[in-house]
Amino acid sequence: MKEGSKISRREFMMMAGLACTAVLSASSLGSVLKPSIAEAAEKPDVEHINDVLKNMFGSRKIEMAHVKLKTPIIAENGAVVPVTVISDLPMEKDNYVKKIYIFVDENYHPFTASAELSPANGKATLALRIKMRKTSNVRAVVETSTGKLYSAIKAVKVTIGGCGG
Amino acid sequence: MPKGIGKIKIRVPRKIKKGAVIPVKALITHPMETGFRKDKKTKKRIPAYYINDVNVYYGNDLITHMEWTIAVSANPFMTFYLKADKAAPLKIVWKDIKGGEYEKTIQINPQ
Repeated sequence: MKEGSKISRREFMMMAGLACTAVLSASSLGSVLKPSIAEAAEKPDVEHINDVLKNMFGSRKIEMAHVKLKTPIIAENGAVVPVTVISDLPMEKDNYVKKIYIFVDENYHPFTASAELSPANGKATLALRIKMRKTSNVRAVVETSTGKLYSAIKAVKVTIGGCGG
Repeated sequence: MPKGIGKIKIRVPRKIKKGAVIPVKALITHPMETGFRKDKKTKKRIPAYYINDVNVYYGNDLITHMEWTIAVSANPFMTFYLKADKAAPLKIVWKDIKGGEYEKTIQINPQ
């Protein structure tokens, strides 16, 4: 009787352990595999960030100044990443920030959004929530009405599993 | 998935001084489908469906025009600034790639 109960207890523990690992591996596999399957089914044409920038701005010089990019360091959910672009450039009638661009380097299509501003905005700031496929640099480019380009880059880590690791 | 597409909320400060630069926050419900996702049941690809054009009017002037792509999150939320130098309506118009047009107007009354 004693022996029997011991075995059943051990068996139970083992079974419980197995079930636990099975569930864990299934769930982690599922979350890892899901996006890759979806991607394999629909192979989008991948654009490289350098080509995109070249197409948009040609060989114009982009200076790393006057732009501040606010992003989380770690984004737990790549589908919703808050991004804020702030520029200290003036918003006067003949000298203002004409356009703000947001890019995500590792997305299939790095160009995410752009905003054409006017002096009526008073402040060259734009906040938006964007999607990120995976850990990547986020890039903001600001174009002034005088034709100058400024930029800022920030790395954002995306943890798909949601475990924060 | 949100049921009501095109529900809009716009927030501005309650008290606005004349000439002050104020933040305008705007939220619209929209699925923003990328075209990469698959329906789990039917295994069919969900076609792309997203907002690609946003216009902001202050009075009669178009003050901001935005271009969006699939990489803007579902239920897009944005913040931009406005120099409140006149009492005028502020109208925001969102357009999606299926021809949907959603707009909301609020009154800006600086004191």
